[in-house]
Amino acid sequence: MSADFWLGVGVTAGVYGIFVLGLQINVGFTGLLNLGQAGFMGIGAYAMGMLVTNAGWSIWAAMPAAVLIAVAAGLLVGLPSLRLRSDYFAIATIAFAEIVRDTFQNAAFAGGNQGIIGYDQEWRDTASWLLRQLAHIGLGGDTQLPLFIVVWLCFGLCLAGLKFLQASPWGRVLRAIREDEDAAAALGKNVLAYKLQSLAIAAALAAVAGFFLALNVTYLYPSEFDPTFTFLGYAVLVLGGFASYGGVAIGSVLLWSVMEGLRFLHLPLSTGQLGSLRFVLIGLILILLSMLRPQGLLGRKAEMQLR
Amino acid sequence: MSSSKTSADPILVIEGLQKSFGGLRAVAGAGLSVRRGSLTALIGPNGAGKTTLFDLVTGFARPDRGTIRFDGRAIAGLPPHRVARLGLVRTFQLTRVFAAMTVLENMMLAPPGQPGESLLGLMAQGGARRRIEAMVRGRAFALLKHFNLEEKSQDYAGTLSGGQRKLLELARALMTSPQMVLLDEPMAGVNRVLGRRLLDYVEELRRSESVTFLFVEHDMDVVMSRADRVIVMAEGTVIAAGSPDLVRNDPRVIDAYLGRTH
Repeated sequence: MSADFWLGVGVTAGVYGIFVLGLQINVGFTGLLNLGQAGFMGIGAYAMGMLVTNAGWSIWAAMPAAVLIAVAAGLLVGLPSLRLRSDYFAIATIAFAEIVRDTFQNAAFAGGNQGIIGYDQEWRDTASWLLRQLAHIGLGGDTQLPLFIVVWLCFGLCLAGLKFLQASPWGRVLRAIREDEDAAAALGKNVLAYKLQSLAIAAALAAVAGFFLALNVTYLYPSEFDPTFTFLGYAVLVLGGFASYGGVAIGSVLLWSVMEGLRFLHLPLSTGQLGSLRFVLIGLILILLSMLRPQGLLGRKAEMQLR
Repeated sequence: MSSSKTSADPILVIEGLQKSFGGLRAVAGAGLSVRRGSLTALIGPNGAGKTTLFDLVTGFARPDRGTIRFDGRAIAGLPPHRVARLGLVRTFQLTRVFAAMTVLENMMLAPPGQPGESLLGLMAQGGARRRIEAMVRGRAFALLKHFNLEEKSQDYAGTLSGGQRKLLELARALMTSPQMVLLDEPMAGVNRVLGRRLLDYVEELRRSESVTFLFVEHDMDVVMSRADRVIVMAEGTVIAAGSPDLVRNDPRVIDAYLGRTH
């Protein structure tokens, strides 16, 4: 049970955390059932990878550009589909995410089944430098440590930004739309514009999560962005709690500790069986939670139940 | 003050308004005008098209034909938020408070064009934003006090009683500093004491802030004693309009709505 293993789990939890912050602003604070978050993540990650490998950009320039591309995708998807009723919006977003994935799978420009590799040299240089600095203060040795630190630092920054937004009059309008969009419109709020902004922010967060996923696994491949990623994101959301940004961190760490920690129990099971068992376990936890604490660990019961 | 702003001038003028839902003609060529500064009642039997008319005026439904002019501007077909920003706000027949937000947040949400409501405004105008937020908070507290809801300011709106929700909805509409408010059955589901208080507020605001009110109401005693003008709808059209006394004795109104015993 090496430290590097758990640092790796921490990186995955951090990537999901950033990803689910985006779901939280949509689901918990705007009332938008976005099931296409993995699609935005794929667009962000692939845009970064392609800008570096195909266009020869520096990864540090490619990242902000890829965020903007994901935001543009969010606006493009939102403009027609946000006019749909909420359940149809959910269907439209999952369709979008599948279109993205199938396109990566089949388009030559995205590497097709080969995927994309070789975009992370600059990051590796930076990580080595960071490792050397960490060694000076006695934290050397764990190769996952730099990514772990950067991922959770980034999570913290996103969390702070979102909390600021949520406490502002802007966030107040979002929650009003979640509660009753007709009443919000009757008070002069442009509901569509706010939903678009919420979706664009979620897409940006998905893109950032995608960068860290790309740096973690060191290659981009279409199946990394299949709908399961979004669904596991919802499991994190439910665990951590509805309408709580802080809960996202706890939910993600909990989910991934259970998912990855199960292998240390030395159960007499094959790898495949163990892989299935962890989903059974997560399912059980979710069922228990919905019975005992439906608002999630840090969620607000009143915000879920009051009508 | 220009001549168009005198109290006898209409603030809302509707002509030839039509709206069908499938085969049902909910509003079938309705025309009416509401005087600036008046407290006008809109009455009529169920299914007369009153709520649809409200929906058409406030942008929640698009008219098939006809014109709606508010304060001299054609507003038919504008989306709801644009209509609201012109100073024409509504309440709903089934009260709509933001249940999982506090009473104070419900109030502070309402004023349009707050700088902190836009992402750009949040980035740019720190000082002005905080100043306006403080102003909005002050006004919200003043109105809540006026409506006897001050002690509830930190409670979730979803915990209020039906009557308190009606008060909050009205107070919230007033936070937008409207020129005109449409009230869809403001007294439905409210006990008589609270209902009377609500109408007292309405009359007072009409006097002090010269807000125009158009309200749907079924209680004829309330309509006749409070409204200074009554508009009667039946089967999608306006069949009479005038002073309460005039309308009360109109044979068409008696026939369609009030009944002969009245």
